[in-house]
Amino acid sequence: MAIVYSSLVYLGYILIFPGFLFCFVAGMLITGIDRKIVAKMQKRVGPPILQPMYDFFKLMGKETIIPAAANKTVFLAAPIVGLAAMVVIQLFIPVISTPILYGTADLIVILYLLLIPALAEIYGGSASGSPYAGVGLSREMVTIIACELPLVLIFLSVAKTVGNAMGTGLCFSLSDIAAYQAANGSLMLKASMIPAAIAMLLVIPGETGNHPFDAAEAETEICEGMLAEYSGAPLGIYKLTHAIKTFTLTALFVALFLGGIGTGIVLLDALIEFAICVVLTIIFISLVHAVTARLKIEQLFKYYWTAVSAIALISLVLAWFGM
Amino acid sequence: MILFNYIASFFLIVLGFYCIVTKYNAVKTVIGLSIADYGVNLLIISIGFNPGGTAPIYTWGELNPSSFFVDPIPQALTLTSIVIGACTTAMSLALVIKLKESYGTLDTREIRRLNG
Amino acid sequence: MTNLLSYTHFPVYSIMVLFLGAFLVVIAGKSKALRHIFAICAVTASLACLIALIKPVMIDGEVIAYWMGAREPAGGYAIGIALEVDALSLFFGLLIATAVFVSCCYSITYMRFDENVSQYYTLFLMLSGGVIGLVLSGDLFNMFIMVEILTFAAVALTAFRNKAHGALEAAFKYLVVGCIGSTCILAGTIMLYAQARTLNFAQLSAFIPGNFNTSTIIAFALLYIGFSTKAFIVPFHPLAADAHGAAPASISVLISGVLTKSGIYGIIRLTYFLFQSMALGKMQFLLVFIGSVSMFVCVTMALAQHDFKRLLAFHSISQIGYVLTACGLCTALGISAGLYHAMNHTLFKGLLFLAAGAVLQQTGTTDLNKLGGLSKRMPHTTVLFLIGAFSISGIPPFNGFASKWMVYQATYQKAVESGNIGFLFATIIALITSVLTLASFVKVSQSVFFGQLPEEYKDVKEVPFGMRFAMGIFAVLCIVTGLFRELVTHYLTEPAARAVFDVGKYINSMLGDGYASAVMGANAPVRTEVVFDMAGTWQPIHWLLLLCILLLAITLVALLGRYDTVSENKAALAEGKFDIFFGGEESVPSQVGGGDLFWGFKHNWRHYFSFMHDLHSGIVNDYALWAIVALALAMLYMLIVL
Repeated sequence: MAIVYSSLVYLGYILIFPGFLFCFVAGMLITGIDRKIVAKMQKRVGPPILQPMYDFFKLMGKETIIPAAANKTVFLAAPIVGLAAMVVIQLFIPVISTPILYGTADLIVILYLLLIPALAEIYGGSASGSPYAGVGLSREMVTIIACELPLVLIFLSVAKTVGNAMGTGLCFSLSDIAAYQAANGSLMLKASMIPAAIAMLLVIPGETGNHPFDAAEAETEICEGMLAEYSGAPLGIYKLTHAIKTFTLTALFVALFLGGIGTGIVLLDALIEFAICVVLTIIFISLVHAVTARLKIEQLFKYYWTAVSAIALISLVLAWFGM
Repeated sequence: MILFNYIASFFLIVLGFYCIVTKYNAVKTVIGLSIADYGVNLLIISIGFNPGGTAPIYTWGELNPSSFFVDPIPQALTLTSIVIGACTTAMSLALVIKLKESYGTLDTREIRRLNG
Repeated sequence: MTNLLSYTHFPVYSIMVLFLGAFLVVIAGKSKALRHIFAICAVTASLACLIALIKPVMIDGEVIAYWMGAREPAGGYAIGIALEVDALSLFFGLLIATAVFVSCCYSITYMRFDENVSQYYTLFLMLSGGVIGLVLSGDLFNMFIMVEILTFAAVALTAFRNKAHGALEAAFKYLVVGCIGSTCILAGTIMLYAQARTLNFAQLSAFIPGNFNTSTIIAFALLYIGFSTKAFIVPFHPLAADAHGAAPASISVLISGVLTKSGIYGIIRLTYFLFQSMALGKMQFLLVFIGSVSMFVCVTMALAQHDFKRLLAFHSISQIGYVLTACGLCTALGISAGLYHAMNHTLFKGLLFLAAGAVLQQTGTTDLNKLGGLSKRMPHTTVLFLIGAFSISGIPPFNGFASKWMVYQATYQKAVESGNIGFLFATIIALITSVLTLASFVKVSQSVFFGQLPEEYKDVKEVPFGMRFAMGIFAVLCIVTGLFRELVTHYLTEPAARAVFDVGKYINSMLGDGYASAVMGANAPVRTEVVFDMAGTWQPIHWLLLLCILLLAITLVALLGRYDTVSENKAALAEGKFDIFFGGEESVPSQVGGGDLFWGFKHNWRHYFSFMHDLHSGIVNDYALWAIVALALAMLYMLIVL
């Protein structure tokens, strides 16, 4: 009986909270709010907040056209793998300061798991045989490389700071980082971590491919790049993955830098987390989206490898000298 | 006297390397390799040499603590090394012939289809 | 007469059968079947001998010292030729034997159209015997002989398809610089002999560390450079690129998976055993620096390539950079991570080269700008290639991730413990290199397997089963070693890492108990209990379980919905419903070529790329000059440091 019960709990984690269902609702809501806010800023009415959900269900019912030039298996499997990996990442990220699954993955694993959804999109686009996808995946890969350096610096400085404070030298474990923050207050309060937090906030729109860092999907020039040939359910799944990615990255920011503010009650924490994520999205995604024009891909690369990396590097240097 | 050997072997090795680096003719490169190899062989032999020692050929009965002979191991090593050096030269000359056939030149500056 | 089936004889058998096989293949003459049987039997027997040694060496921690012809040391002089197998040797031996076995399976179908195949197998077995002999040898001069054997065999095999583009040129360059390396090894060996009057590795390890003088230090530099040429680390990487690219694919597997390992093995033996100098921060710096530079330079060189095999070759050295960096840390975790990555490197690199060979055989080219869309024609090869590509770019849960993850932990831990900022840079470079590796494999898969199929490759067929089988072995091993990280570290890499930190046992097993402390006095290496602490956690099985449940759930949902697959509707097909979107125009074949990808990245780095392109001029004199300058620098550095 106990085994059945625990596996049911486990399945509940995966499928309902903090897994699939939670991600689905949170991601869709965040995207809806984002679209609404951008519209308001541009003096438009904008779609209803639930519009992404309507879009998703509509797409699920549409016919899927597989181009004759495409590799069918990869074309159809890629979105599913991407979504599954995206949801798995969410399982590893503590809800504010309460880790859900202990001891399965650490910061470096998260860094690499974050590649999988992007990679799924790249391979899906690649398999479609479209020349637009070729251009799109080239830019997407450059965006990944661009974001990787600041992310690496941020994660290393977090690992060093928490390790210093805990006396173990360095700490990559997410649950230890959460526990440390629950006991000693948020990392955001440490002077050395503020540049890292800022850099992370600047990385989020790049990682999610939001305006102005959406050269990879630029609808107006390369017809959504890798998604050019997608239609129906696979396209819906990609849209969902995007939505969840926004939520996951903001949630990761909360777990890394704002860990100490939780109440200890998981469901309440989840609500607080969601609220913070919405605020972060509005400020660092919607606002940026509304006021900027799309960067060219080489400008994007330069921006991340110079300005953002420099900010992250300040944090690493401060952390290195134990501040 | 033995110091002279060391200097000569060092000189040969450096000469060989110099030849490999500065000569743009594939055959001269091979010659450079051989010269460096001979330098090392001379070094090996010199290391095993004991001034005044006899040839290291003894039966069990003759061998006693006062026997004074040159070290036999470097000589064995040199033999091996000479054989290997000959193989190197043969192999590289074979390659040079083939290179001349397919590139039409022995100038190493022109044998650079694989670059970058 | 001792029992000939006792496991103490297995090391020598595993070398002997390969050389015997090389001989028998010639005798077999024109009989194809007989030749294949001899070759396969030889490599299988060699692998079996080494696998049988896992129990005594890896698990029981025994060190097998074997004197050829039972000529044991007399009067303190180890004159006889010795083999010595500790966990480190066996680890490399197993890797090599596995790669050789798979490569041999692949060769049977891959080389079926070539002429003079019997010479091919002779050289192949000589090469394998040479490498296994090198790692099992307990004698410095013997190591030199084996190095020469394997260099010759490798050069001849590189030039084997001498009609192919650049094969002769690559072989010539490899021979010239390889011979400089061999000359260095010989000179170093003999200089050590002049000091210690012995060539036995264990005896040298006991004698040298207490007796550093100019002569031994120069010998150290010579040997280090000699083994570097075998490992192809910077500045010898251009040779690797040429040789790997030009050789037949089955040989590229050996050159990248096996020869480089022999070089790394030589460097570990040299630094940790013979000179026991790795406790010095400056020596750690040297290895970590060279490793990081190799990692980064080679991965950027790879990004600029547009030839499939040449690109793989640069990646090979880039991954060797990880191995060297991790092994240079002188921590138990570092060595364990480095050896783990060395193993994974053999597996995924082998897989990738075999896939490249499959593409070459079916299409006749490896130019990334000409290929495309092969996944519809060669689906199995595509899947196998993707497994290799994901492994090398460190995508969880494949094996490349498990070992790279350990490398990051090890370098960062070392940085924090020693307070040396250099190791921090090594961590960052390793992490960035990994994503650049991913980028270039995206490039390969886009421009070879996905995208549009050019007209001339419409009739390409899948490769025969024999080749897919060989690739399958590597692919399965890639996944297994990725998923069962703890088993691999526990049974393979940790015993080897312990062996590295137990030099005293290595010496004593060869020359009798108490020899180390008798010769070295207070400086005798003491066995330290090594711990493998990690700062993070990674449970691949757990993760995979989660992923599978989710995949299943999503797939089920996707199937339940109104999920129309493409209808085989001829009318719609004719209408162009299934054509790819081409801006509303009629679509024409338009493949984004491999050379044009990642412009945004390359544009920012254009000065660096053009500088590197000019630097790798392809002129053998330049490469020889690099070798000699590296030798001079190594001598200077070591004279200053030691």
